[in-house]
Amino acid sequence: MIGIISYLVFFTTVASILGIAVLGLNLQWGNTGLFNGGVVASFGAGAYGTLMLGGPAQDGHLGGFGLFYPLALLGGMLAAGVLAWIVGKLTLRLRHDYLAIATFGVAVAFENVMRNATSITGGAQGIRGFERPLRDVLGDGFTYNAVFLAGVLVVLLLVYVFLERLTVSPFGRLLRAIREDETAARSLGKSPDRIRLISFVTGSVIIGLAGGLYGTFYAFVSPQDVLPILTFQIWAMLIVGGAGNTRGALAGAFLIWGAWTFSGWALSRFAPVEAQLYTGSIQFVLIGMVIVGMLLWRPQGLFPERLIVSQPGRNREKTQVEGFT
Amino acid sequence: MKTLLTVAAFAAGVSALSTGAQAQDCTTKIGATLPTSVDWGRPIAEVAQFAVDQVNEAGGAAGCQIEMVLRDTQVDPKVGVDAAKALVDLEGVNVLLGAVSSGVSMPILSSVTVPGGVMQMSCCSSSTAFTKLSEEGKTDGLWFRTFATTAVQSAMGAKVAADKGYGSIAILYKNDDWGQDMARLIAADFAAAGIKVTSSVAVNDGQPSYRAEVTKALGGEPEALYLALYPNEGTSAVREWLSLGGTQNMILANSLKSDEFRDNVGLQYLGNALGTDTASPRVASADAFKTTYVEKFGSEPNGPGLANSFDAAMIALLAMEAAGKDASGKDIAASVAKVTDPDGTPVTADVAGFKKASETLAGGGTVKYQGATGDVRFDANGDVSAPAVVWKFTDSGVDEVEYLSLGEVDAFIASLKK
Repeated sequence: MIGIISYLVFFTTVASILGIAVLGLNLQWGNTGLFNGGVVASFGAGAYGTLMLGGPAQDGHLGGFGLFYPLALLGGMLAAGVLAWIVGKLTLRLRHDYLAIATFGVAVAFENVMRNATSITGGAQGIRGFERPLRDVLGDGFTYNAVFLAGVLVVLLLVYVFLERLTVSPFGRLLRAIREDETAARSLGKSPDRIRLISFVTGSVIIGLAGGLYGTFYAFVSPQDVLPILTFQIWAMLIVGGAGNTRGALAGAFLIWGAWTFSGWALSRFAPVEAQLYTGSIQFVLIGMVIVGMLLWRPQGLFPERLIVSQPGRNREKTQVEGFT
Repeated sequence: MKTLLTVAAFAAGVSALSTGAQAQDCTTKIGATLPTSVDWGRPIAEVAQFAVDQVNEAGGAAGCQIEMVLRDTQVDPKVGVDAAKALVDLEGVNVLLGAVSSGVSMPILSSVTVPGGVMQMSCCSSSTAFTKLSEEGKTDGLWFRTFATTAVQSAMGAKVAADKGYGSIAILYKNDDWGQDMARLIAADFAAAGIKVTSSVAVNDGQPSYRAEVTKALGGEPEALYLALYPNEGTSAVREWLSLGGTQNMILANSLKSDEFRDNVGLQYLGNALGTDTASPRVASADAFKTTYVEKFGSEPNGPGLANSFDAAMIALLAMEAAGKDASGKDIAASVAKVTDPDGTPVTADVAGFKKASETLAGGGTVKYQGATGDVRFDANGDVSAPAVVWKFTDSGVDEVEYLSLGEVDAFIASLKK
């Protein structure tokens, strides 16, 4: 029994961290319509930044400043933000698929730099030896994981509330206006370029935060953690959950990550012995089928976007407009 | 009718299972996290299962039949770590085989197996980061791997230099993770062997000229040159080295064991060049593994990591046997030394060998495991070494100058550490 609880704590931690990243992407794609194909670059910048700033002294590569942990995490977020600002300045004039390709290229370049800049990032071996915060007090076992989960949930809640309030604020309305019709927004005196950049950087900082927590949890990061598959996973979570809906984004993270891991567990337990060797491949097929099925039968996601009337000032009430399409 | 047949077949299957279980009514699970969704990963898992089957045929380990629960890592650290955690928490395994990539094995080690007190044995992770982590005491002795690191290659370089009596040496190395590792290790080994390193210069590939690097290396007037380069930049660098009057006393890493390098530099300049390489073991047990492998799978074990994976599984199970029933991961890890003891009773890597090992261990003795990669022995960091050869170029290719068995390699590495 304790094993099951211990595993669930572990699972929830990873799913919550991924959920934070999905929330960041939801701000970019769901609310603003920015097709970010380089999620993993922000994620990696957060992870590398946090571990380099917060880790102990390392021989052979930069980092090991041993900063107080919250500062290291903020540093990781800052790294993701700065990277996003530079990338955004250069590419945000691009639209849709062009932006996707450009950001995807940035992510691949990021991975290659991490792999080759050995004197800065530890190269292919990655960064290890990170001391997880409060480890001396809590030890390494179940208590630590439980406390870490609590911390991650608090962060998740903060991000969630921040984004929910953002969505119902006039700024949220502006984001959606730009998403739906940029020319119209411009004609109303808004500056879409600036707003798109703000949204892109904010989303990337949130994704970077997820990356920082991820690096902390595993006490390790290597170029293998920043492969394009992660971008795909996070996109799959958002699409299945429902782009534009904060709750949907979160649900998608838990569902897809759950399906991803549960299918492996179920196959290893119930598949016949002869098929055990092929469960890895079967798992890939199953995951692909879930995503294709969602796109075919419920393209708006499990939790479709709700129509919201954004109001300034104190009457910040969410008003759902029923039957309004 | 068809249904009936199916039911009958199913019933027969069930009864076959139950008769199998009567002999031993307990099953111990061990975990394996391997990249089975990748083409070269599947044989690695297959051969581990093959080792488990043989042990079960010999009566199981620690009094129970062994069931290997296999999970795919997808070569994704997140997925691999989750799989490992599920194996430890949900299946209750004390022994974990895997992973293949260092980038997957490392987070499993730091966030699952070490906190959980589970022994982890990898067939194929080669990163020197594990050695460092272990030296810092952060693996709790739970980490092992059956894949030789670059340490063997570098120690052999130092041995050649010492045997030739060179007093000073310069190093040119390729500027990538392998080259950086080699340069760091070989500099330490030269120093330990009492050879002065005059300079150590990084060489980036794809440059039209290496004059600057070579001049720098020539600066200390070394008696010899060590090259950890690939043929392309190796050829250019050596040509410039010789044209600037550098010595022909050269020691080459295995990456330069290429006809292209020999032809482009010219054999007449390579008379004093000696190379090093790791070798496959020339012992009966390695041949025996090949024979049984061919019998079982119908082809030679030529894929990467097969012999290593077999040994990893076998040693893990022998250690379980030595640690006895209901042993913890730490106990099992501590028992690895008992089954890879150089002074122990030699046992082969098959059903008969496992039976013999059980008897010896039951009588309080220790065992020397002779496996697919030869006599495996771990150092304090869970690393293994491998046999090595020294070679030189000839008209037709490469000739072996010297073969060093595992024992000789180990003895030399130990002498460097003193």
